[in-house]
Amino acid sequence: MAQNEIRLDAALRTEFGKGAARRIRRDNKIPAVLYGHGSDPVHLTLPGHDTMLALKNANAILTLDFDGKHELALAKDVQRDPIKPVIEHVDLVIVKRGEKVTVDVGVHVEGEAAPETNVVVENPTLSVEADVLSIPEWFTVSVEGLEAGSQILAKDVELPDGVTLIADEELLVVNVTQQVSAEELEAELEAAEEEAGIEKEESDEEAAEGESSEGGESEGGDEESSEG
Amino acid sequence: MLIPRRVKHRKQHHPKRGGAAKGGTAVSFGDYGIQALEPAYVTNRQIESARIAMTRYIKRGGKVWINIYPDRPLTKKPAETRMGSGKGSPEWWVANVKPGRVMFELSGVSEEVAREALRLAMHKLPMKCRFVAREGGDL
Repeated sequence: MAQNEIRLDAALRTEFGKGAARRIRRDNKIPAVLYGHGSDPVHLTLPGHDTMLALKNANAILTLDFDGKHELALAKDVQRDPIKPVIEHVDLVIVKRGEKVTVDVGVHVEGEAAPETNVVVENPTLSVEADVLSIPEWFTVSVEGLEAGSQILAKDVELPDGVTLIADEELLVVNVTQQVSAEELEAELEAAEEEAGIEKEESDEEAAEGESSEGGESEGGDEESSEG
Repeated sequence: MLIPRRVKHRKQHHPKRGGAAKGGTAVSFGDYGIQALEPAYVTNRQIESARIAMTRYIKRGGKVWINIYPDRPLTKKPAETRMGSGKGSPEWWVANVKPGRVMFELSGVSEEVAREALRLAMHKLPMKCRFVAREGGDL
């Protein structure tokens, strides 16, 4: 549960603006800003690859070494390029040991619900307050054997000691619903196709059937088409 | 098919498209999604066709989200018409999709099933797309 602190060698930034930021990114580094606890904002440059690996853990606590100082920080906002796997900028907030912070922690579902049901995670994260050095990586929720109509609310999620729920207690986290029957689904899809004037493509049907039986020879003609 | 119930103006200007998506660039409802890599106008027929393709593949399991809405009318003049005499009549309803936008999301199925369902759906769309998973998901 408690995460290891991740150490990053940061450097103070002296030039600002988009030109300077782009030069930093070209050097495979990430511009960042550090603030909090009433201190003045500090502009930093972080190592690109190490920061990217560090931020793969949600709510990672980073120890930043810069200018002969060590500062504990939590990533508050990460700006990513919408297409390229690149981090453009990171907002870091200073935290102190023993401090309580409010963070969003993910919910992982385990187990198999009753047959003929769909398990939908309505809220994949929960807002909680936790000690800065013992932020849970995720909460596990079991849906083992749950029947259709069952709901898991935020208050039902088991929280570790020292973690308090900030989100609404009645917030729906997991919803177990009844699957529609095969006939209903087929009728709905037929009606939708008819309304839209879409001709059913053989390749789709074959692909679906081929996958269920053995998989294989199905695809082919569909590869080239760009629209239906 | 998705179509606006009521609009303020029947016909819109048709400016140049450009830029990347400002929001909706991450999978936020389901576990997996389709992300656009190019700009395009996606018609309501294409959206419906993609939805049907993935729903037919995942059968009764899973849930599908559509994150785009075709709220933009495109007009067309009839064939063999002389130029002038005003703007043509509305012909299509499209969603203006920019690169980076997550258009469809899927949850409640395994990764292999999601990959194949979304691959089938991608073939119904007019631009290059890719499969994406939710950050911090169960991958």
